[in-house]
Amino acid sequence: MTTANGLDSAKLSAVVPGFEFDEKADLAQSPAWFLDGTHSVPPWTPLFGWFWINFCRHGMQYGAEKLSLPTVKGWDWRFKNGGGYLTLLLVKTEAEQRQREARFREAIRPFVEDYDALWQSQLTEILARYEDLKKLDLDKASNIEVLDNFEQTINVCRRMWEIHMYMMYGTFTAYILFENMCRNLLQIDDTHPLFHKLITGFDNKVLQVDKKIWEFSQRAAKMGLSEIVLTSEPMNIAKNIEAAPNGRDFMRDFRAFLDEDGWRMQRMSEMNMPTWIEDPSPPLTNMKQFLVKGGGFNLEEERVKLAQEREAAEKEVLARIAPEQKGWFTTLLRLAQKSGVFSEEHDHYLDLYMHAMMRRSALAIARRLAAAGTIGSVDDIFFIIPEEIRKVALAPEQFDLKPTVAARRAAWMEWCKTPNPPVILAEGFDMDQAMGVLVKSNDPIALKVVVGAMPVVRPELKADLHGTCGSPGVAEGPARVIMSEEELADVQPGEILVAATTSPSWTPVFSFIKGVVVDRGASLSHAAIVGREYGIPVLMNVFVGTQQIKTGQRIRMDTNLGALFILDK
Amino acid sequence: MEKKWIYALEELGKEHLDLVGRKCANLGEMTKLGMRVPPGFAISVDGFEEYMRATGLGARIASYFDSKGQDLRKSVRSQMDASRAAKEMMAETHLPDEMADAIVRNYEALCSRFCTKDMPVAVRSSGAVSMPGQMETYLYVRGASEVLSRVREVWESTFNTRAIAFRLEKRMPVDKAPIGVAVIRMVNARSAGVILTVLPTTGDTDHAVIEGNWGLGESVVSGDITPDNFIVNKSSLAIEPHVSTKTRWVVSTERGTTKADVPQHLRNAPCLEDREILELVRISVNVEKHFGVPQDMEWVIDRDLPFPENVIWVQARAAKYTPPRKEADNDYILDQMTRLFRQ
Repeated sequence: MTTANGLDSAKLSAVVPGFEFDEKADLAQSPAWFLDGTHSVPPWTPLFGWFWINFCRHGMQYGAEKLSLPTVKGWDWRFKNGGGYLTLLLVKTEAEQRQREARFREAIRPFVEDYDALWQSQLTEILARYEDLKKLDLDKASNIEVLDNFEQTINVCRRMWEIHMYMMYGTFTAYILFENMCRNLLQIDDTHPLFHKLITGFDNKVLQVDKKIWEFSQRAAKMGLSEIVLTSEPMNIAKNIEAAPNGRDFMRDFRAFLDEDGWRMQRMSEMNMPTWIEDPSPPLTNMKQFLVKGGGFNLEEERVKLAQEREAAEKEVLARIAPEQKGWFTTLLRLAQKSGVFSEEHDHYLDLYMHAMMRRSALAIARRLAAAGTIGSVDDIFFIIPEEIRKVALAPEQFDLKPTVAARRAAWMEWCKTPNPPVILAEGFDMDQAMGVLVKSNDPIALKVVVGAMPVVRPELKADLHGTCGSPGVAEGPARVIMSEEELADVQPGEILVAATTSPSWTPVFSFIKGVVVDRGASLSHAAIVGREYGIPVLMNVFVGTQQIKTGQRIRMDTNLGALFILDK
Repeated sequence: MEKKWIYALEELGKEHLDLVGRKCANLGEMTKLGMRVPPGFAISVDGFEEYMRATGLGARIASYFDSKGQDLRKSVRSQMDASRAAKEMMAETHLPDEMADAIVRNYEALCSRFCTKDMPVAVRSSGAVSMPGQMETYLYVRGASEVLSRVREVWESTFNTRAIAFRLEKRMPVDKAPIGVAVIRMVNARSAGVILTVLPTTGDTDHAVIEGNWGLGESVVSGDITPDNFIVNKSSLAIEPHVSTKTRWVVSTERGTTKADVPQHLRNAPCLEDREILELVRISVNVEKHFGVPQDMEWVIDRDLPFPENVIWVQARAAKYTPPRKEADNDYILDQMTRLFRQ
């Protein structure tokens, strides 16, 4: 359709040109498209969706190709109403699978031979690229330099996803093999408490950040700032501390800590919320929660205990392994142990950090466009896409993107009201068949992050809900149902967190809650890993927990049995 | 004969494998690396072929083999007959004078370098392709006529039954074989043995292992006795000695070598001094670096020369060893990872 002013309105409204979901063509290509509920619920803003669909898609295909995964060539992605829909690109012939197998065997070798060196080299590369982006003083730079910074940011994002998916495919392959070996040799799988003990008790970057926040809470107490923190609303904590006699020094150090580790937003897969650097209220609220709870940093004590348990578990397991199998079994065990560390650290260094870089660069352009009247406000930038930014960035006063922003913002608000369907299926194709395709792909990420194990229903327990064990243990307490990041500040010590899924930026609350119940998750999803490190039980794949459990209800969870009881119905 | 067919070892390198065979090419290469090897000369493959051509022996043997036709291929008995017939024809066929003179001249030149007459030498076969039954080695060969007959005996070994069977099986011409001969000065061996720059059973490349005995190296290689064993850490150079009771050794006689009892006072004494051990390790590690793979090397300690000139090398080749456990384990993991995608 062509409008009066000559613009093609269909093209204008495309958020991710080339990758908008087209029911007819896309269902002809693949009969099942899954909504990425972990990352695209609630719906993405157009700008973030553009980055994700283009480059997560590219990264997965890059990773699958670089490793020559025998059965899958990564995932294809489409954008639909703020949701990311994915399908697997299966290798079509057995002959090609065999060819890919031969290459795969060599391509995966670096993961087995020197995992740490491999991960370190990738990390060093991407961190250097972030530093390059940060070099430009965005306020003093010319329009040309700011646009160039944005283009470089796009390139770095692309590279981030390459590293992300190459590492993730390789790492999870090792993890899956270890789990298989445990199943064969020890008759346990990765929902078994003994298995969890084997891979728990490790430090990682995300937990180190939690610890720094706890240390600030201790310092605040020593400096007599507790009262101010405890009586302030989240958005006023910083202001009130700075008004106190020695509060300025405290906040200066806190901001220095954020300059290093604050490149993250509350929501992991979005860029429309402030980073910790822009708005320190989320970490300051975590600090407040530490003060409410009191006592030591339990993670530290917990880790010593978990590490001892892990060593005992290793001893127990190795005693059951034949001497000639010990060599490779130990190598695989170490790799599986690194999978958990990788899962958490990659969120910090790759996803969270990159999205903060994208926000930084996009906001610099936004300020200029808003000043020139191209867009109405800085926040409007999240409703236009790079093609449009390129069009206007060098001579912003010549263009008016306000109608585009208005149309897209209206559409986005509609998307937020109506949830995207979890799966789009071709006619005559059912959910079981669709899951069958996922399993058949042997795609390590699909298996360990998306699908997970299905709960076993045991009628004799008379449980209200069933789930799989992400972290072993039993807990009882009031439920706190959290549907979005904004509600995190409400979480009280001693509660059991109930959510659809959790994100790495949520970790600080893990230190004072009793347990976690998530609708979806597998053994390498975030809630499971962090729950294990904090030694609290995590029940996963409950599917309807957030619908059936109400905040304040007393619940009892027993992950060893895979059961959840609602005590006051 | 126009074409050159005798070479000094110093002229040779590993690129001359086809010209002079593996043994000679190897000794030449070792010389290039600055290792002390016994001096000597090589008779190239062309030398053997010239002998066969100039005497008409090649044509006679070829027509004999032709006459046997398919029988030769089928029956071991007829291969044994062919071997005997070919060797008899060779024994009756003297070297052309011109060739015999050339070999004698080179032998005498070697003797005069050491100011001795009838100096003992080793005459060894040097095949360009490794062929079973073709590993003749004659030690303590003294005098020109003895050298000439030993050279011819080496050539004869190409018509061993096993060598004939091997060529038939590999569909190679039966009447030809690429064989060279090494004639090298006999070291007056005080002790001899081998060094591996890897522990062969574990694939441990951090250590080297030396095995040795008094006298010539044959007693160590044959496995008749329990040799002394020294395990040396290649970086710290710490020596872990295992000195055994060595009851038998191989010594030289007027016409070759023989096995004998080790004198009482030497039986429980280490056959190497520490400084000799370290010199063996130092050189073998350099050679390993040069070739990039663990080495299996044969050494001799000369009784007459002072240290370190007494450390002499006669063989260097890639070591055969069980790959390190870790490598095997990793390969197993890689195989299993690949299989994951077949489920």
